[in-house]
Amino acid sequence: MIKRFWHNKAAAAAFFVLAFLILMAVFAPSFTPYSYREQVKNADGEILSNMPPKIPALRFLGIAQGTAVLEDRQTAFLDDPARYPEGCILEVRNRRVTERGTEYCDVLVDYYKYMKAEEGTAFWFGTDQLGRDIWTRLWRGTRVSLVIALFAVAIDMVIGVSWGAVCGYYGGKTDLIGMRVCEVIHAIPNVILCTMFILLLGRGIGTMILALAVRNWVETARLARAQFLRYKEREFVVSARAMGVRDRRLIFRHILPNAMGPLIISATLAVPGAIFMESFLSFIGLGIPAPEPSVGTMLSDAQSMLQTYPHQVLLPAVVIALLMIAFHLLSNGLRDAFDPKEEDSEE
Amino acid sequence: MGRYLLKRFGMMLLTLFVILTLGFLVIRLMPGSPFDDPNYSAEMTRMLEEKHHLHEPILVQYYYFLKDIVTGGYWGVSLNLEPMTPVWTVIGRRIPVTLTVNFLSLLIALPLGILAGTWAALYRNKWPDHVISLLTVLFISVPSFVMASLLQYFLGYQAGLFPLIYDATGTEAVRLTSLVMPVLALSFHPIAMICRHLRGELADNMRAEYMITAQAKGLSLRQAVFRHAFRNSLIPVMNIIVPLFTNILAGSLVIERIFGIPGVGGLMTRSINAKDHWLTITVLFFYAMIHLVTVLITDISYGLIDPRIRLGGGRDD
Repeated sequence: MIKRFWHNKAAAAAFFVLAFLILMAVFAPSFTPYSYREQVKNADGEILSNMPPKIPALRFLGIAQGTAVLEDRQTAFLDDPARYPEGCILEVRNRRVTERGTEYCDVLVDYYKYMKAEEGTAFWFGTDQLGRDIWTRLWRGTRVSLVIALFAVAIDMVIGVSWGAVCGYYGGKTDLIGMRVCEVIHAIPNVILCTMFILLLGRGIGTMILALAVRNWVETARLARAQFLRYKEREFVVSARAMGVRDRRLIFRHILPNAMGPLIISATLAVPGAIFMESFLSFIGLGIPAPEPSVGTMLSDAQSMLQTYPHQVLLPAVVIALLMIAFHLLSNGLRDAFDPKEEDSEE
Repeated sequence: MGRYLLKRFGMMLLTLFVILTLGFLVIRLMPGSPFDDPNYSAEMTRMLEEKHHLHEPILVQYYYFLKDIVTGGYWGVSLNLEPMTPVWTVIGRRIPVTLTVNFLSLLIALPLGILAGTWAALYRNKWPDHVISLLTVLFISVPSFVMASLLQYFLGYQAGLFPLIYDATGTEAVRLTSLVMPVLALSFHPIAMICRHLRGELADNMRAEYMITAQAKGLSLRQAVFRHAFRNSLIPVMNIIVPLFTNILAGSLVIERIFGIPGVGGLMTRSINAKDHWLTITVLFFYAMIHLVTVLITDISYGLIDPRIRLGGGRDD
């Protein structure tokens, strides 16, 4: 089975992308000199907001050098060291004279010198509007989003599997009542339920986790119940019961391990679902509260500045997209590996 | 059928009532008052609260709320966003643009999804299929709001093809062009869903025995697919279209905010933030209602499209 998984190139690639993202999320925030919440200031106490990306190691490529073009500047002031600190001007372009005789130009500056940032300061992905390092925030945000999604799915699995197991195993009245409860919860749209939940408990990471799990466990319960119905009359279960194995042991030791396959696949598929929902809620203003970042809140906060600072939008957008694609491919790969009959693309 | 419909309809009303009650309790239990404006004096806040019965115990408020709805169809007025306008007027004004965006996306998604799905099934396991599967995974995984950001940057900002945000004051043509990107952003997901479903269904149907019969009597594969397999495959695909619409509607909650479209979507966020209580409850109710109605339509349409499916029987999945 493991061999079949690695045979699937897309799934293997997804696994490595995911491993990379998780490693970065775990370690990257600890290895930067900046914190995710501290506003970086220069020697004069001015906040270094919206700094362009600067990655010294990529100097030879000519990208991310920490430069910016300042448009429509009066040429007369270019020599004024109070406005343009020494050595910050790299190139003067597009000189033009207006009708009134004032000369204007666009100036390419080393923005780090222009803002009088301390020597050696380099924000790899720049800073956001409040002068916080985006590299640190991006990976911390990834970590927060992953933690939220994983916890939400874990809770969803624990409740869903136990609920479904009990319903499926005991059947009868237990099953009837259990499934009715599921039906009622399932009837409420997810967005509405999450919204009301967060409004009730206030925004926060814990609330977010609960809000994401509060409806999803129903799906898991249905799946688990179906799995239990499938296995509970099998010979190995009946014989174990004949030998006097207790219900609890039967459920957890005999049936559950056999029923696990589809449940694991559904869990890997629930993770991107949770990441999506978390970003989605951030967009409606119900995300986790500042200063803690998540990729969703970073994306929604930067959205309005797309024209001026596109990288602030594109970076979290790319991370979300990568996470979602990787988890989807991974779960597709797992599904095929567990059950090769499902997909017909096997040659 | 009639009894089944009645039962489902009753269940739907009950669910709506539960949602309404939950929504009311949640929103009224939130700390803060809609009149927490620093410009208002304490006296004024008190008077405003008394006018809207906000000072009474919550159960009494709930009684007034229900009584107004049941006896007069009166859902309250907007408190902050558009003071004293009845909430359904506020929402009603915004429904057309939201529906336009959503229907347009579905309208684009249907033919494209069907086309891509058929193409992929015809060339199964050849390169068109692989390319389409790759795109399908991409479109299903990447959320619509990320797509919106990418479109906004590349098509709107870099290429300058379409306006970045919706221009409500512009002419008809300007408004239509500014709808292109939001509609596109919302279409990717349904296109991929329809394509994936249709490809799967077609692949199953192409292995069916009637296809061998059709080919044995002289039809080419292509003819057989379009005359026989295609029709049979469309039935199950039709069933996912109504739920897809609910999906698009939820997506447009965010898309409307990104593109500044004055639809119902943006209203939810703004009313929550402004503590515009009655408006929030009504918007929640509006979305819940649409969701429940579409679920009902889907379930009924199973039976209408394919009479072999009996309704009302044990619907265990």
